[in-house]
Amino acid sequence: MMTPDIQESRVRRILSDLTNVPPTEIKAGDRLREDLGLDSVGSMELLSMLAEEFDIDVEMEEAAAVSDVAGLMALARRHIA
Amino acid sequence: MNALVLGAAGFLGLNLVDALRDLGVDPLCARRRRTNVIPLRSRKARMVVADLDDPASIRAAMDGIDVVFHAAGHYPRHSQDALATFETGLRQLDNVLEAAAEAGVSRLVYVSSTATVAPSPKGLSDESDQFLTSPGFGVYHDLKWLMERRASAEDRFEIRVACPGACIGPWDLRVGTSALLVAAARHVDVPHPDGIVALVDGMDAARGIAAQGLAERAPDRVLYAGGNYRLHTLRTALALRYGGSLPAPPIGAAEAEARADTEERRALAERRRPELSREIVDLVVHGVPVDASLATRALGLQYTPLAQTLDRYDDWARRMRIIPPSIDAPSVEMLSAPEPHPPEQSP
Repeated sequence: MMTPDIQESRVRRILSDLTNVPPTEIKAGDRLREDLGLDSVGSMELLSMLAEEFDIDVEMEEAAAVSDVAGLMALARRHIA
Repeated sequence: MNALVLGAAGFLGLNLVDALRDLGVDPLCARRRRTNVIPLRSRKARMVVADLDDPASIRAAMDGIDVVFHAAGHYPRHSQDALATFETGLRQLDNVLEAAAEAGVSRLVYVSSTATVAPSPKGLSDESDQFLTSPGFGVYHDLKWLMERRASAEDRFEIRVACPGACIGPWDLRVGTSALLVAAARHVDVPHPDGIVALVDGMDAARGIAAQGLAERAPDRVLYAGGNYRLHTLRTALALRYGGSLPAPPIGAAEAEARADTEERRALAERRRPELSREIVDLVVHGVPVDASLATRALGLQYTPLAQTLDRYDDWARRMRIIPPSIDAPSVEMLSAPEPHPPEQSP
C-alpha cells in the first residue's frame, strides 16, 4: 500500500521532470499552464506519465479536466489503491 | 495478419488502430517513450516503444510483423530550417525502410499527404497526378515530396502510398486542422489566405488506409478526401455555425507567407505554437481540388458528410475541454455544411 506522502512525492517528481521546477517549489495551487508553463500537449504528457508510473487507467475526459496540481493529486488518489 | 502502426498515439494513428480492429486486426502500437498514451491505454492496445531515430527499436518492433502502417512521418512544426527538416524526415524514413527490410515485412503503407498531389489539366487531380520535380512552394511540400519519392522507390517489399487531405475529427488532440473549428467556436479570427482545402474525416481516412494495407490487392497510391472546400467559404460557414462575426476578407498569398514566416520566428523564440504557420499557408495557397473517388471504387470507402464530422468533432472536443463547455453548442439551424468546391467530384 502506497502512503499518501510517497504518492505525492512521486507525482511531484514527474511534474518536476516535465517542468524543470524543483519538486519542493511545486505548490498544490499551481496551475499546470499558467504557473508551471505546460501547454495542452505537455499537460497530456504529464497525465500519461502519471498513468504509466502508477499503472492506472484514466479516461481522456478525466485527464482533460485536470488543470492544477491539486487536481492532479486528487486524480492520483482516486485511482491508486 | 500481424500489423504494426507507427505513430499509433497520434490523431490518424488512433483512428487507424480503431479501423484495423473493426477489420479484425489488433495491431501492435508503436509509441515514443514520451508521448500521451492515455488513449492507447484506454483501448487496451498492445504497445511497444519505438523511436524513429533509434533503428534498433524500430527493428525490434517489426519482429514478426507482416504489414507496417507508417503514420509517423516527420511533420515539421515550422518552416524556418529547410535542410535540417529534410535531413530529419529522410533519415527517419530511411530508418523505417531499413528496419522493414531487415525484419522481412511484406508490405508497408506509407502515409503521405495531398501536398504531393500536382495540379491537373483535368481540373480535379487524382492518383496519377504527381510532381516530377520538387514543388518548391515551401519546406512542407518539398519534404513530403522527397519522402514520398523515397518511399515509392523502395523495392525490397511492397509499398502502398496513402495521401489523406487535411484530417478533421475526434482524437486530433494536438488540434491540427481542427484549429479552424476551435477558432470559430471561440470567435477568434486569424487572418488567412484563400485557396482550396481537401478535407477528410480522420476516421474515413483511417478506414481507407486500413483497407488499403490489409487487402491482398489494392492501388499503390490512394487519395483520401471527402470534399474540396474554398477556405474562406468554410471559415464563413464555421463562423455562422458558432454565431460569430464573419471572418475578415482573405489576405494575399505573399502577405500570408510573410506573416507566417515572421510569426513562426517569433513563436520559435517564445517556444509557443504560431498562430499562422507557413505550412498551412502553403497548403491553402497551393491546394488543388482532388478526385478521391478511387478509395470508394477500389476499397469501398464511403465518405462521411462534413456536417456529421463537424458534429462529432464538436461533441468530442467539448468532452476533451478543447472547446470550453461555456461556449454554446452550434444551433440546429446552423448545422449545414458548405457545398464542396467544385460542386461535383466526378465527371
